[in-house]
Amino acid sequence: MAMNIIDKFGNIVGNESLKNPETARKILLTGYRLQEKKLQLFPDKKLPASGQYVAQVVMKSIIQALAKPENAAMVSIFVPGELLTAAGLTPYSVEALSCFLAGTKCEQAFLRKTVEEGFPETMCSYHRVSLGAALTGLLPKPKCIVYTNLACDGNMMTFPYLKQTCDRPSFYIDVPYEKNQDSIHYVADQLREMKCFLEDVTGKKISEEQVEQTISNSRKAAAYYQKQLKLRKDHDPVTTMTNELYAIFMCHLLAGSEEAVKYTQMLLEDVKNAPKEEGLHVLWMHIMPFLQEPVKDVFNYSNKVHISACDFVADGFREMHSADPYEAMAEKMVNCIYNGNLDQRIEMAQKLARETEADGGILFAHWGCKGTIGASSLIKSSLEASGLPTMILDGDGCNPANTSDGQVSTRLQAFMEMLEEGKEEKAS
Amino acid sequence: MIHYVCKYTPVELLKGFGEECAVLEEMPENFEMSDQIAHANLCGFGKSVIQAVLEGKVEQLVLVNCCDSMRRVYDVVKSTGKCKFLYMLDLPHNDNECEKVKFAGAIRRLKEAYEEYSGKTFDKNVFLKSFVQPATEKHPYIGVLGVRVSGVLEEMIRENIHMDVENLTCTGGRKLSVIPEELQAMDEEEMFLMYADVLLGQMPCFRMNTSTRRNQLYLDPNLKGIIYHTIKFCDYYGFEYASIKKFIKVPLLKIETDFTSQSAGQLLTRIQAFSETIEGLEDMDSGKEISEEARKRMESGVYYVAGIDSGSTSTDVVILDQEGKIKSTMIIPTGGGAMMSAEKSLERAIEKAGIQKEEIVRIVTTGYGRAYIDSGDDSITEITCHAKGAHYLNPGVRTVIDIGGQDIKAISIDENGAVKNFLMNDKCAAGTGRFLEMMARTLGISLEEMSTKGLEWKENVVISSMCTVFAESEVVSLVAQNKDVADIIHGLNVSVASKVGALAARLGKSNSGEYMMTGGVAKNKGIINALEEKLGAKLYICDEAQLCGALGAALFAYEKCKSGE
Repeated sequence: MAMNIIDKFGNIVGNESLKNPETARKILLTGYRLQEKKLQLFPDKKLPASGQYVAQVVMKSIIQALAKPENAAMVSIFVPGELLTAAGLTPYSVEALSCFLAGTKCEQAFLRKTVEEGFPETMCSYHRVSLGAALTGLLPKPKCIVYTNLACDGNMMTFPYLKQTCDRPSFYIDVPYEKNQDSIHYVADQLREMKCFLEDVTGKKISEEQVEQTISNSRKAAAYYQKQLKLRKDHDPVTTMTNELYAIFMCHLLAGSEEAVKYTQMLLEDVKNAPKEEGLHVLWMHIMPFLQEPVKDVFNYSNKVHISACDFVADGFREMHSADPYEAMAEKMVNCIYNGNLDQRIEMAQKLARETEADGGILFAHWGCKGTIGASSLIKSSLEASGLPTMILDGDGCNPANTSDGQVSTRLQAFMEMLEEGKEEKAS
Repeated sequence: MIHYVCKYTPVELLKGFGEECAVLEEMPENFEMSDQIAHANLCGFGKSVIQAVLEGKVEQLVLVNCCDSMRRVYDVVKSTGKCKFLYMLDLPHNDNECEKVKFAGAIRRLKEAYEEYSGKTFDKNVFLKSFVQPATEKHPYIGVLGVRVSGVLEEMIRENIHMDVENLTCTGGRKLSVIPEELQAMDEEEMFLMYADVLLGQMPCFRMNTSTRRNQLYLDPNLKGIIYHTIKFCDYYGFEYASIKKFIKVPLLKIETDFTSQSAGQLLTRIQAFSETIEGLEDMDSGKEISEEARKRMESGVYYVAGIDSGSTSTDVVILDQEGKIKSTMIIPTGGGAMMSAEKSLERAIEKAGIQKEEIVRIVTTGYGRAYIDSGDDSITEITCHAKGAHYLNPGVRTVIDIGGQDIKAISIDENGAVKNFLMNDKCAAGTGRFLEMMARTLGISLEEMSTKGLEWKENVVISSMCTVFAESEVVSLVAQNKDVADIIHGLNVSVASKVGALAARLGKSNSGEYMMTGGVAKNKGIINALEEKLGAKLYICDEAQLCGALGAALFAYEKCKSGE
C-alpha cells in the first residue's frame, strides 16, 4: 500500500514537472517535509541511533537545497564538502538528488525528457535524472556550480551543460590521473582558488580558521570511521542499503560538518554495542542500489548477511596526512581509489576484506558507469586470486528500466548460497 | 611501430626516437577475445583496442587518459602483459598555463619512460623534422565529426560522398601550428613547454572542460554537411550531438557504430541517402540513361514504369502508367534472397496489371536489397523514396514515420516531397516490427490479434524497458502476475509509441504539417492510437502506406521518363 502512495506521488510530481515545475517542486518539498517529520517523530527503530540520525541529516540537507536554492551549491559528489561547509553553502550532488527523485518514483519523467533531447541512454542514470530535472525546471537554479572530473566522465558532460543552461557561476577542479606530490600541489592550488571563488559568490569572507576547523572535523570523522572499521569483524550492527548510501553523502557532500563528526561518533558507539552475529560478512563495492527489492530483501535489517564495509565510504573517510588543509583535501582527491589506475581500488578492497574478515565481495556495476564496468572483470579476478569470492552485480542504481529484479534476485541468492557453502566447508 | 589513439599524443616526440607511429583503428569482426576478459558493456572502441592487443597486432601502445573507458582499457591491457611498451599519458582537461606546465611534465615523463624501455636516445633533429605543416587552402567539404571512425568506415564515407571529406573526429584533424625553427633554439624545458602548448592548442575534443571553441567546427563556411559519428557506450559525443544539433545549419547525419565491421549495410543506406540530400537529386548521377529501345516504346504513347522496394520482410512493387497513375501493386514476403523475391514480385505485378514485361521502360529499386537487384535502371535509398511516395499520396504530409521490420525512420519532408532531415534508430530492435513480433510470440498470440486487443485495456501497465530482451522478461513477469493481456499489450504499445515519438521529437517540431505513418506496423491499430496520443496529432494512414517506398521509386522512374520525353 505504501508503495502505491509513493507511485502516485511520483506520478504527480513527474507529470506536473512537465507542465508547471514550480508547483511540482512545491509538491515534492511538501512530501519531503512530511518525510522529515516522520523521521523525527517515528524514526526507524530497527536501525541503530547513527542510522536514525543520518536519515534525518540527509533529508534535511536535500530539503534545504530545494527550498533555499540561493544558498545551495550544485556539485559533483567528489567536490570537497569542507570548503562548502566553511562557506555556509548547502551542497547537493546530482547523485544525491537523483537518488531522492528515484526514491520518490518520479525519475521516469525526467529520463524521458533526456531521451527527447537525444542524450545517450547509455549515460549514467544519476546524471540523466538530474539533467532531466534541470531541463524541466524542477531543479531550482543554485547559487553556484562546483565540479570535478574525478571518478566520473558524466561530470564533464552534465556540468558544462548545466552551467550554460542555468547561467550560474561555476568552478572546475581538475584532478590529474597520476598520483604524485606534483598532482597534489596542483589540486591544492586550485582549492585555494576555489575558496576565493566561494567568497566572491557568497560575498562573505572565509577565514583560514574556518577552513582549518572543517578539516579538523574531517580528520575526526575519519578517525572514528576507521576505528569502527577495525571492530567490524566482531560486531554486526543492523543496517540497510539506504543507510549505507547515506554514509557516502556524509563523507563527501557533508564532509567537514559537525554532523559528519557526530554521525561517525555515533556509528562507532553503535558498532561497539552491536553483538557478533552468525552469518556472512560482505564487502560492498561502489554505490548501493537501495531501491531494488531483491537487494533490499537480502540485506536490509538482515542478521544473516552483513555489509561489513563499503569501499566508497571507506575511501571517503580516508585519513588525511598533510598538515596544510588545502594539501589535505587535495590528497584525498588525488589518492581517491576511483582516480588513476586500478591498483589502489583493488588494494583498498583487499584491505577492507581482510580487516572485516569478509566472506565475499559484491561489486555493483552500475549501468552507465564506464569506470566501474570496465574495471569489473579485473577487480573480480584480482580479489578471487587473493581468496575473496567476488560477484559482479550488473544493475542500475536509479533507473529500474535498466535492470531486472528476477535476474538480480537469482544472482544474489546464488552467490549467498555459494558463500554459505564455502563458509561451512571452511568450518568443517 | 608505436600505436596511439588520441590526437593529443606527442607523435613527433615518438618519431624523434626513429619510430613509426600509427593510429590504432582496427575494426574487428567481433570482440570474442576482449569479451572474455573485459565487461561486454565497455565501449566498442575500447574493446577493439583490447582485441587488437590480444590478437598480437600491437606491441607498443601509448594511451591517453581520455575517458573512463580508456583508463580501464589501460588496466586491462596491462593485466594481459601482451604489450612490450604500454604507457598512459595524463592529459589535463583545460589549456591554461598551469595545465600546460603539467602536460609538459607528462610528455617528458613519457620521453624518459621510452628511453628507459628502448635504450634509444631522443634525436631532436628528427623530432623537429617530423612536424607537418597543415595545408591552408580549403575547398567545400563534408566534415566527419564526433568520435573516431575506423579506416573501413572512413573509406566508405569517402567513396559515397561526392565531395571532399575531412576527418575531424577525435583522432583526425591533427594540426599543430608550430614552426620547427622556433623550437630549434630552445632548451629542452622551454621546448617541451611550447610543444605542450601547441598540442593543447588544437581544436579541443569534447572531453575538455572548455570545448566552446568547437563552435568553429560547425561555423566554417566551407562546411557543407556533417556526418556525426558516435559509438555505443561512448557518451561524450552522443551528448555533444544532442546539445549542438539545434544550432547546426548544414545538413547533418548521425551514425552510430559499435566499432565492428558488421553494421556496414545499414550505414551504407544512410550515407547514400545523406549524399542524395546534400547534392540534390538533379545533380545526382541518376542511374542508367533511358535506352533507345525504351525511348521507342515511350513514343508509342503507352508505357509503364516500376518501383521495387526490397525490404527485410516484404518485397513490394508498384507499376505506374504513362500518366503517373498506379496500374498495379504487389506485396510478397522476402524469401530466398533479394534478387529472387524482386523478380517474383515484379512478375506477379505485371501479371496482375495484364501487361507485357517489355512495356516497362524503367525500373527503380530501393530498400535494403536494392544493391543486389540487377534488373533496376537506378537505385535510390528508401528514405528518399518514402518521402516521394508520401508526398504523392498526401501533399500535406511533412513528417513520415516508417516502422518496418528492422528499423524505425522519421523523415521530415518539404512541400515538394524532398527530404529535409531524417533519423533512424540504431542497430537495436527496440520498437521495430521485429520487437512486436517477439512480444506477440511471448504472449502466444498473432500480430493481428495484438493489433486490436490492446484497445480494450483497463489498467495502465507500464513496460519501462525498451530493450527487447529486458522487455520480454518484463512481459513474462507481468503474465506471471496475472495481468490482463489487453493491458500488457497496451503497455507495449505505449512503450513503442514513446520510442518513436522521441525520434520524431528529435527531428524537430518546427516542420508543421501532417504526420503520415508507413511500413508494416501502420496496420497495427493499437500502436497508431498510442502514437497519436504521444504526438498529439492524427496520423495519416492509407491502404497504400505499406507501398510507399516502392511508389516513391516508381515515381522517380516516371519523372526520369517525363524529363526525357
